[in-house]
This record gives sequence, C-alpha cells and structure tokens, in this order.
Amino acid sequence: MVKAVNASGSPETAPAPTAPTAPPAPPRAWWARAARFLLRDRPELLLSPLALVLLVYLWYVVTSAGLVAPVLLPSPSAVGRALKVLLTAPWFPPNLWTTLLEAILGFLIAAVLAVAVAVLMDQIRLIRRVGYPYVVVLQVMPSVVLAPIFIVWFGFGISSKIVVSVSTAFFVILVNTLSGLASVPENSRLLMRSMCASRRQTFFKLTMPTALPYVFAAFKTAATLSLIGALVGEFITARSGLGRLLTQFSFALRQDMMFATVLVVGAVGIALYGLVAFLEKKVIWWR
Amino acid sequence: MARDVMLTERAPGVDAGTGRIDVEDVHKVFTARRGGAAIEALRGVSVGIRPGEFVSLVGPSGCGKSTLLKMIAGLLEPSSGRIAIDGVPVKDPRRSVGMMFQTPELFPWRTVLKNVLLPIEIFRHEREYHRKRALELLEMVGLDGFHSALPRELSGGMQQRVALCRVLVSDPSVVLMDEPFGALDEFSRERLNVELLRIWEDARKTIVFVTHNINEAVFLSDRVVVMGTSPGQVLSVVDVPLGRTRRRTQQMMREPEFTDCVFEVRGLLGL
Repeated sequence: MVKAVNASGSPETAPAPTAPTAPPAPPRAWWARAARFLLRDRPELLLSPLALVLLVYLWYVVTSAGLVAPVLLPSPSAVGRALKVLLTAPWFPPNLWTTLLEAILGFLIAAVLAVAVAVLMDQIRLIRRVGYPYVVVLQVMPSVVLAPIFIVWFGFGISSKIVVSVSTAFFVILVNTLSGLASVPENSRLLMRSMCASRRQTFFKLTMPTALPYVFAAFKTAATLSLIGALVGEFITARSGLGRLLTQFSFALRQDMMFATVLVVGAVGIALYGLVAFLEKKVIWWR
Repeated sequence: MARDVMLTERAPGVDAGTGRIDVEDVHKVFTARRGGAAIEALRGVSVGIRPGEFVSLVGPSGCGKSTLLKMIAGLLEPSSGRIAIDGVPVKDPRRSVGMMFQTPELFPWRTVLKNVLLPIEIFRHEREYHRKRALELLEMVGLDGFHSALPRELSGGMQQRVALCRVLVSDPSVVLMDEPFGALDEFSRERLNVELLRIWEDARKTIVFVTHNINEAVFLSDRVVVMGTSPGQVLSVVDVPLGRTRRRTQQMMREPEFTDCVFEVRGLLGL
C-alpha cells in the first residue's frame, strides 16, 4: 500500500482521492528563510565576523577612553587613516613590489632547488645516504639566524633578501617532498616492477603523482615562509621593501603607520597562500 | 559473439607463451642484517604447473606462499633451485606474467579505463585495439559505464575488479594472484570467485592463486598446493576431482567430492 502525505501533513492511503486538499501553506518570505538559515544552520557565518567587530570596538573603546597612550596603541580610525596614506603614497608601490619580488623569487628558487635535491636524494642511494644526516640537522635549525651572514655575503640589495627567503622556505619543501617520494605503497612499486616498468616510467607514472600532494602541502607553508624570510632580511638592512618601511616607522614612533603596514603584509601573505592553494586544486584535481 | 573472439585471441605484441611453470627444489633464505639469524622461508619446493592450469597455494601465514609467488613473478630471487616459465629460467619480471595483489593498487589520479590501460602504456602497445579490449573487460566484470569514474568513487570489490581487468588487458599467459580477494567481504569475494572462474574458462590462462581460505582454494582450483611452516615447504598437492571444463557454481560446494577435498586439505594442515 502506498501512502501519500497531503499538504496539511495527514497521511492518506492511495489511490489518492480527487477530493480537494487543503491549500498549501504560503511560502515564507525570503528574509525569514535567510534568518532561519543563519541562526539555526550556520550561526558561525554571523558570529565569526561579529567577533571581529567586537574586537575592533573594544580596541576603539580602549583607545578613545585614553586608557592607552596613542603612541603605544593607535585608534582604529588612526590606523584607517594611516592605511589610506600608505596606500596612496607614491613611495608605497615600489616598496611593496620589492618585497613581493623577493618573496616570489625566493619561493620559486626554493621550490625548484628543494624538489630537485629531494628527487636526487630519492633516486640515487649514495646521495641519500650522504645527505640525509645534514637534512635532519639543518631542518631543525632556525634558518633566519643565517640572515645576517647572507647580508654580509650578498650585499644590501634585493639578492641578499632572496637568499634569506630561499633559505627559510627550502627545508620544509625538501623534507616534505622526501617523505612524499617515500610514501609510495610497496605493492604499487611491486606492481610497476612486475610490469617491467623502467625507472623513468615508475617515476613519472607512480612516484611523482604520489608525492605531489605532499609537495603542495609544503608549498603552502613555504609561500608564507618565503615572505617571512624576505621581511627578516629587510629588517636587518635594506634600501626598499615593506620590512624596511616597518623599521623606519618604528624609529619614527609611527605606530599607526606600522599597524597599517602590518595589515598590508598580512594581505600579501594571504594572497600568496591563496595563489598556491588555487594551483594545488588545479594540479591535484583527483583529491 | 564478438566479445568472446576478442578475449580468447592473442593480443598482438605479446609473446604467445603457453604458461608452463616449473619450480624445482627451490630454497629461499632471508638473511637478517647485522648478523641476525637467517630465516628459512622455503625449503626444497618443487611444483610443476601445466599450461592453462588453475593452482592454489594454501597454508598458514609464514608458510612462504607469497614468497614463492614473488619468485615466480621474478620479483624475488631464490637462494637455490630453479624456476622456469615455458622452459626459460626466471630472472626478472616478464611481460607475459601478470600480477595481482591483495590491495587493488589503482592509481587515484587515473580514471578506471586509464588504470586498466596502465600495462599497455608501459609496454608501449597499440592503444586503440587495447582501449576496446579494456572496455570489453570492464563490461565483462560488470563495470560498463564506469570507465571514466575515479577509483575513489568505487567500492572495494569494484576496485579489485578493475585490478583484474588491468592484469588481463595485456593478455598474459600466466596470472599470479596474491590473496586478491582477501580484503573483501564474503559476498564480494564469492561473486568475484565465480567471475574469475568464468574468465579463466574463457581465456585459459595459467593462474597461480595464493590464499589462506581452504574453501576458496578447492572451489577455484584444479590442484591445491598445501604448504606448511617453519620452514615453509610443500606438504602435499591435492587434486580436485571436480572437472576442469564443467562450469563451477556455488552449487558445487554442496557436493560430496567438494567436501571430501576440503577435508583432505584441512587434514593436511592439521585442522
């Protein structure tokens, strides 16, 4: 027996009678449905931005009540004005460009070098055995401590910052790529061997695609690290760049401009990360 | 039916071996590193497998059945003794021998069809012919319409069917199966066993099938090689008197010959 439910919600037995059914409930207004969705199904969509608004409001209250000296903590509106000054200043784009160039070149060089070294270590046993202890030791060393040395070696210009950026981003890619290359299941290797696959075929058809998710996970971290490397290099000494702006504003006690610059640096970091995450989705489409 | 013609005819480019396997007095000793004790995995194993025969290797874990299979595949070298396929000693893997594992080992970045065609790509065989063949094989195992699906969209049983198509697509004369359905549930396993028999009856390949399931071994095989542990060795080879050419179905499991055979194997294994 088939049961049907009419609009008023009471069960009926089939075959459905031709008797008129109760008129359907009027559809709810869109705003009512939207409110219901936001409050009941996805409260975080509302509460998460609200938390930020509250934080900024708290910041506003603290600064406007004079609880903290403006030299230490500028008000939100002061930071807003500073951000406008910063973004419209003629000297801002060259500084932004310098840091972007250092971070992007640093990332690209680190990516190419680290992946190449990882593949060499994976494919050639002697290189792996000789090199592995160094990888283990060097990966735990905070490579930013090398920054002053690189500045001495490579000068005050952009190249020294690129080197610092490469050194900060290099090891996470190397270590992750190595574990990605080693993560090929034993039976998959045996399968390729049982099909008489050449080393080249095994690498391109099995090992490389297996490692790619690990490589891109590392790329996402490395995108942020390469920006950190560039900024640290600029902190030490630089003619141009967001890091140099930060040190200058610090010396000038311009906290409002420092906050504005920090916001810009954050935006750059998010943009670089987003770009890599976008590429990851394109390359590792099967996930 | 065009399908049957395609599947029984030899694919071009494959050396048409007949699939006879000779294992003569094979020993295998694994030496642990740093001077640890050597483990004797196999002692004095001799088995002759006829072309087109279905033989199971049955025994408890550690009896060396997988080791023996890998040595026939050319993936491991025997410590002493001789293994030959069609009279040619096995030194390396060869194209006329296909291998299937307990895990499907499908590549997640390849569609079902491209997974099946992997051996063809590696052998650099003619593509268009084998594409058709692969589609027919998929249809034969009930996966028509799934050729552009990704492995993660398939159930475990369906994935192992794809792996079966992959090992068959290059038309090897010998198929080595290492507990191929061992990770599947009982229902999928039985269905796949029946399908495997149907395919084997059509294509007449030599199949060596490793399992620790006695019913499965007797159900599938012409002969069951019963193996024991420490050291791994052949205890006995049991003939299954159930006829080669007759189509086997699950009905067969009720017949007294089947039960007798199962109990003979159990007896040899001390069960």
